[in-house]
Amino acid sequence: MSEMNQLVTLHTQSLREPVVTPYLDRLVEALRAARLNNSFPDRRRLQGSLETMQKAMAAKLYEQVYIDARAGMPNMASFTRVVTDHEVASGSLERMSDTATYEARREEAEVYARLLDKRRYYESISGQPYAPLDEQRVQLRRHDPATGTAEFRIDLTKLDATGVYVRITIELTQVAGTWRRKVIDLDADGESAAASQAFHATVYRNASFDAEHLFIHMHDIEGVSVDRVQRGVVGPVLFHLPHDQGRVVPAEPEQANSRMAHAWQRWLETTTTSTPELMMSFQSDIAARDVREEKSNDPLDSLFSTQIQASERARYDNVRQRFPFKVFKDRKFVVTPGLEDLVRAVCEGAGTKNLVYRMR
Amino acid sequence: MSAGTKSISDVLSRDVSYSGEGISVRSLEDNIHQEREVQDGKVGELKLLRERNVEIQSAMTDELKKLRKFSDYIDGTATGGGFWAGFKEMVSYIPGLKSIAISKRSIEELLKQQYHVSARRVKEAAEYVDTLKQSEQELYKEINRINGKIVESAENERRALDYVLELRDSKAELEAEMQALEAGSVEARKIEADIDKVQALLSTHSSNVQLYGAAENRYASLKDNTRKLAETIRNLGQDIQQYTTAASIKLDMASAQIQAIGRAADASVVMLEMKKSLDVMTESMNVTTQFVSDTQVFFRQNLDKLVDELETFDESTTKMLDENLKKSKEIEERRIQEAIEKALKRRAEAGGGAGEPPASPST
Repeated sequence: MSEMNQLVTLHTQSLREPVVTPYLDRLVEALRAARLNNSFPDRRRLQGSLETMQKAMAAKLYEQVYIDARAGMPNMASFTRVVTDHEVASGSLERMSDTATYEARREEAEVYARLLDKRRYYESISGQPYAPLDEQRVQLRRHDPATGTAEFRIDLTKLDATGVYVRITIELTQVAGTWRRKVIDLDADGESAAASQAFHATVYRNASFDAEHLFIHMHDIEGVSVDRVQRGVVGPVLFHLPHDQGRVVPAEPEQANSRMAHAWQRWLETTTTSTPELMMSFQSDIAARDVREEKSNDPLDSLFSTQIQASERARYDNVRQRFPFKVFKDRKFVVTPGLEDLVRAVCEGAGTKNLVYRMR
Repeated sequence: MSAGTKSISDVLSRDVSYSGEGISVRSLEDNIHQEREVQDGKVGELKLLRERNVEIQSAMTDELKKLRKFSDYIDGTATGGGFWAGFKEMVSYIPGLKSIAISKRSIEELLKQQYHVSARRVKEAAEYVDTLKQSEQELYKEINRINGKIVESAENERRALDYVLELRDSKAELEAEMQALEAGSVEARKIEADIDKVQALLSTHSSNVQLYGAAENRYASLKDNTRKLAETIRNLGQDIQQYTTAASIKLDMASAQIQAIGRAADASVVMLEMKKSLDVMTESMNVTTQFVSDTQVFFRQNLDKLVDELETFDESTTKMLDENLKKSKEIEERRIQEAIEKALKRRAEAGGGAGEPPASPST
């Protein structure tokens, strides 16, 4: 059994060559194939981070990529390396000698060869997009000074503590009043908006919850009327990376999703493939006024309303009547050919019809 | 007589060629000055890097202390006072957060920001290691070049000295011949002319003996300084590499813990807020249960290990950082002392040296 299947610390596996290259290659390919819209984290930036990891490994600047053993995606340490490399790149390039100098002297000492590789790496990533660890934007959609109402759209993108990468979009209306504490402030010209610290913290803390919970929580804030809460989640990822000493797979997939993990385990027990396989899932979770039918088309996540115990049903229904939204959940998948049957079987077993894109 | 005349004629007409460029007091000073400029440049670079190094080490020591506070807080939950007692104290150490009843900031977000800052600092420090290694290589190349000049000066000095000794012997021969001749005779005048030629050559080449000797000594001294500088730079580079490597590994290993701690800390706030407005969902939501069980499981399984790791990191790395700071200061003190000693010595030497005209050979 490969030691890369072991945890090196809490929820963390360390992937080294020769499995890192096929892993990152397939992740990048999966992102491209997923056709993500703007309800998901920015595909270009996320892909940019993965490509930076590829270049760093090719330049041998790092020995490993750390991944979250539950979600199967690069973890905070790996994403932070990308961010800090981008941040120091221009300063380092200014201090370094030029490429010709290092090329002329690479045989003199090992340091010159290494600096040449590093210089080329920094040059290749300069100006390229990369994913933030956390980013929040507040945009004003409409402002009516006469009625004191303003419609906002809040976007929070974060690398969640569960290991997935999530974008939360909240569309709400705020009614201003001198006696009301605002959750979002407009500046003097009524154009720029900033969320109050407490409101931002509330959104941030609840980012791991589903859209239904977030809608109720936000809507209950005084002076705020929520129209829509949408979550776009990249991950989890399942992978099977064979190499000379065995194969590398996620160590804790059951902590990401027990339904998928169960099917995955059965696939692992029976597969004989020697090619790298990867599955990436992308969940949409919407709680909004304009959803026509409350439904879950997500084979891995049911509606909360279907999980309520009978003794709590009445109270739950009572709560839901206060809030004017319906919930819709969906999920799409990108898979290598070897995992297509597994995913389709899971969808069929759950009675859902999902998009499954196949990678080459 | 004819054999001696032929010998002196050989000596007088010999073309003594020295390797390298010609030497004079001015050209020697210029060359040494150029070499010193290279050194001064490296010393300046080193000074900046060492200041930056001290700054980074101090900042990292501060951040270690913050991590230690979180570790102490986690330790406190096991003994009593409840979650909130320790929680309030813990968040007071977070920059920008003075007092809270219920925190207005997400702990997870704050910890991630802190993590990012620390990782950035370590990355910046690590970049300096390569700069220092490059400087070190350049200085060793400089040492090789200076060694070349030392050898060249030594060879030239020997060449000049050999010729001066020959000239001195020739002069003695001529003076002996003069003694046997009638004063004012044609032969005596011819020999006098030869003696004058020999004397002129003696002036020039004995001056070269002194200049090349002085050059050899000064380049040797420069080489010693350059080597000490290279060693200082190597030590500093190793110093920085040691703590950046250790810090990098610990940050990599801590990322998941930090997120889990932040999430667990936020979970209680989330639960309180949920409890205020969502009776049924607080009771029923699976994710609430999951949060509580996650927190408990996390603390049960990882508390001891986390405290041990953080404490080991704290104690050994704090000790290492303190030692490094102390060594950096010792190196700095030594360097200043050496510079003062060198300046004093140079002043003492400046009282007699290459600037004076060469002493006349004995008559």
